Amino acid sequence: MARDRRSTNRFKMAERQGYDYSLIFIVLFLLAFGLVLLFSTSSYLGAVEHGGDSAYFLKRQLLFTGLGLALMAVITIIPYRFWRFACIPAFLAAIGLIILIIPYGNEVNGAKRWLVFHGVSIQPSEAAKVAIIILTAFIIEMIGRRRLQTLWGFLLPMVPAAIIAVMLLRITNNLSSALIILAIAFGMLFVACPDYKRFIALAVLAVAGTAGVVTYIVRMADSNPLGFRGGRILVWLDPQAYAGDTGFQTLQALYAIGSGGMFGKGLGQSMQKIMVPEAQNDMIFSIICEELGLFGALAIMLLYILLIWRFILVAGNAEDLYGALAVTGVVTHISVQTILNIAVVTNTIPNTGVTLPFISYGGSSLFFLLTEIGIVMSVARTSSRAEAKQNRIMYYRQTFPENAE
Amino acid sequence: MSGRRYGSARRRPVRKGPKRFTISMQKRLVVLFLLVLVSFGMLAIRLILIQRDNGRSYTMQVLSQQAYDNKSLPYKRGRITDAKGTVLADSKLVYNVIIDARQILEDETYLEPSLNAAERLGVNKEELRTYITEHPGSQYYIARKNLPYQERRAFDQEVSEGIAAEEAAQKKAEEDAEKAGKDKSEAVQVEKVYSNIKGIWFEDNYIRTYPCGTLAADVIGFSSAGNRGSFGLEEYYNDTLNGVKGRTYGYLDESLSMEQTTIQPTDGNNLVLTLDANIQSICEKYLKEFNDSFKNKKHKGNGTNNAACIIMDVNTGAILAMASEPGFDLNDPYNIAAVSGMPKLDEKDEATTNYLTDAEAAALTDQEKTRYLNALWTNYCISRHFEPGSTAKPFTTALGLETGKLKLSDKFLCEGQLLVGDTWIKCAHLEGCGELDVAGAIERSCNVSLMQEAEKIGPEIFCKYQNVFNFGLRTNVDLAGETRTDGYLYKPEDMSETDLATNSFGQNFEVTMIQMAAGFCSLINGGNYYQPHIVDRITSAGGSTVQTNEPRILKKTVSEETSNMIKDFCIQAVEGEHATGTAARPAGYRIGGKTGTAETLPRDNGQYVVSFLGFAPADDPQICIYVVLDRINNKKQDEAVRACEVAKNILTEVLPYMNIYMTEPVTDAERGELEKLGLYDTNDRSKAEESQDETQE
Repeated sequence: MARDRRSTNRFKMAERQGYDYSLIFIVLFLLAFGLVLLFSTSSYLGAVEHGGDSAYFLKRQLLFTGLGLALMAVITIIPYRFWRFACIPAFLAAIGLIILIIPYGNEVNGAKRWLVFHGVSIQPSEAAKVAIIILTAFIIEMIGRRRLQTLWGFLLPMVPAAIIAVMLLRITNNLSSALIILAIAFGMLFVACPDYKRFIALAVLAVAGTAGVVTYIVRMADSNPLGFRGGRILVWLDPQAYAGDTGFQTLQALYAIGSGGMFGKGLGQSMQKIMVPEAQNDMIFSIICEELGLFGALAIMLLYILLIWRFILVAGNAEDLYGALAVTGVVTHISVQTILNIAVVTNTIPNTGVTLPFISYGGSSLFFLLTEIGIVMSVARTSSRAEAKQNRIMYYRQTFPENAE
Repeated sequence: MSGRRYGSARRRPVRKGPKRFTISMQKRLVVLFLLVLVSFGMLAIRLILIQRDNGRSYTMQVLSQQAYDNKSLPYKRGRITDAKGTVLADSKLVYNVIIDARQILEDETYLEPSLNAAERLGVNKEELRTYITEHPGSQYYIARKNLPYQERRAFDQEVSEGIAAEEAAQKKAEEDAEKAGKDKSEAVQVEKVYSNIKGIWFEDNYIRTYPCGTLAADVIGFSSAGNRGSFGLEEYYNDTLNGVKGRTYGYLDESLSMEQTTIQPTDGNNLVLTLDANIQSICEKYLKEFNDSFKNKKHKGNGTNNAACIIMDVNTGAILAMASEPGFDLNDPYNIAAVSGMPKLDEKDEATTNYLTDAEAAALTDQEKTRYLNALWTNYCISRHFEPGSTAKPFTTALGLETGKLKLSDKFLCEGQLLVGDTWIKCAHLEGCGELDVAGAIERSCNVSLMQEAEKIGPEIFCKYQNVFNFGLRTNVDLAGETRTDGYLYKPEDMSETDLATNSFGQNFEVTMIQMAAGFCSLINGGNYYQPHIVDRITSAGGSTVQTNEPRILKKTVSEETSNMIKDFCIQAVEGEHATGTAARPAGYRIGGKTGTAETLPRDNGQYVVSFLGFAPADDPQICIYVVLDRINNKKQDEAVRACEVAKNILTEVLPYMNIYMTEPVTDAERGELEKLGLYDTNDRSKAEESQDETQE
């Protein structure tokens, strides 16, 4: 009877035919929307920096999108269980890429985060996120539900994420990616581990720790013990005081948001895209607020929520634990990154470089995000096949009750 | 396929293979979703709060940042030229050197070449380096002001040539590399110096210059930063001289690219004066000469408190020269050394009999400096009033004759003094002038006769005619700072016998020089009172005439007949046997005029204002000259002959300059003096021209 209970408690899908079209639609919509906004925000910079080609960024992003969608299609077809075997090589490859940064890294904006192969630059941290999702899902599945409750069982799934996080922090000095990777593994663990207490304890601990660090930095504002990160916290607390240099980006983004009003200045009418550094990148959300207003910004946020809800349905309907966990990883990744991005733009948290999924300019980010979507679709496809099978059984039973026991 | 098979699959107790995603896990997934939802909700609230609390101020901020890109372009303030085209005031194009630190810091190879280039433009290199390191985001820093045009041109040329040379060298290196079979990019990079000069640009600016320095300083005035004129023409015609600022501003066009629009500035209009720089400089030369000769004579200090001269065109009211000493340098108006030797000022800014020494001038407080400089900058000819003395006598006589109260046949007896009311008022000639007619009274400058004349005229008519001659009223000459004198005249109801008597010979009421000169012109030219003016026309920056100041007759003061009589009296006052103004006659010319010696207040202080008010040439008056020497630095101040001498010196040079030929024989001694000045007897020439005209006819 276990199976019956399971099927009734599941988040029931309406008719699905192999592919989750709602999911595809939302992703495509976000991508298209992102391209329009990217063109709006980057046309000025493109014209200035790339010889009058105002569509420079748009063209490149279009190329990435096309290639990314193709990749997504391929990955959708690959049965997701394949990643159970590919996860360890993928993890090792990610580590290799990060290590390659040390000798071959390309420095942009003062940070060594990119690898360049024949003019194509990739960001290993983005690859690492995918690797962590498929690897952590595998580890949790191996450990099993009961053993997860032991201390070692609890800590083990975090180990690869911790390794990558430390490496990203040490080698690329990229705190935000490290945090996102830890969050992905942690989110998967949270879903898999049947215990709330330890998570609540950890959350309280994290909040207390953060508060402690902030207080410490504010106290020691003059000696600035934490380098530029400490400085960013000070800017976060009072961006006006640093309006000329470190607070410039934050403040200009706030100006953009504040000046948007309810319905914004209209698409393409942003004045701040000239002022806000990285307007086409980390700060694109501020320009969305300026051009489309509060209404547009909330609509975009709603779109993300819809996307995440679709993911959760897919996870709930997954054929097995591995698929569900992989989707959970993707959910965590996209939601954490979106939340962090919007929080940075609105100066809710200190400034750190996080891109807005599907909308911000950037090939690596888009590529690996679409890879993740491919995995999710693959899970959805498999589960929908199982569902269809189940439906057929139900239909058979209802049609021929005499055959049922 | 059979139902049984499915049924048996369902009954399988433990499912092998992949593990399940359990219901509790699904619940936790929903918890995760709720957490995400809460986060999104908080961010949405944050967005709404930003809009609600800061929307307005941030919108303003965004707009103000747009304005940051705007730049106003300076206009050129108009030029002031004299009647002959000599430039008296001009605005010169100079440049401000602007540093864009952000651009310089874009690449470390830019820093040194840019700093060196800035140093070449006269910017302190190390100070600039410090500034750039301290303000890396600065995009507008004025590193140097008022860079001359030549320096900028030389710099631009050097840089553009340098860049061209470097590009050529680089191209050559690339070609060499290609010849050697290598890729272009592998070519040797030529060292770039000029190409790496970044973040230096120039901003137009204008500075006011006065090529003639001290010439007509009081008349022209000066303009300070922001194109605000102070004193004289610069103040009076401030709006005319100023143009309209231009503006460049950026905006986003339909294709979202930053467009720049420039509204060109409109340059200011130019002034062309009636003033003639040559006549002006002749006046200034002799005034200065006089001042220098009496400098430190009786006491330490200037030769006079004020020495001033106006020359006007009798038939138009155009001012040909208006000079006053001490003057100042328009290019350095704040130089406090110029006030040294001036009388000290009391609390009411009136002159005292103490004089400023150099040391005292240097030690003035800022407030005192302002007072003394203001006194220095003030144009004596229009802004100071004084008792005119005997130069008023032609006016008194004219109004008597005009109203019929006086007749040419009237005789007056002077016994040296006259009892008016209960006061004995003296004549200048204490021994008495004897019996005089109206003409003789002016020739001898007899106070007693004039007092008797005034008694006949009566206070009503006297006061009315003072207004007719424009005494007590502004002449509205087109210069800033003309003073009011209406408080220094009597009204008929307040006028006692003594007041009328003293008024008749120019004491006890006060006038300005411009009032006297303009009024005198009308007495001479047949009674037409022209409004005195100094700007002939206003031209646009392009040179076309915008406005012409035609001579304007304001009123008829006296009749032609009266005018002719007064003219004759004044000629006699220079040429007559007992004339007081003999010394004013320049060699070779006949002129008319009247001297004046006025006691200042308080009476009997030994301080006098001496003057000569005349016209030339006698037969066909062209110009009116008024010389005033205010308190000569001499034991004996009441010598009107000093003013006559100055007038003579000025006329000696001005009349030939104006192509007015001599009519009178020149003595050998006079010829010698003329030759010293580089002048010659023009009698023959005028005759020759006359005969030439005749033969032509």
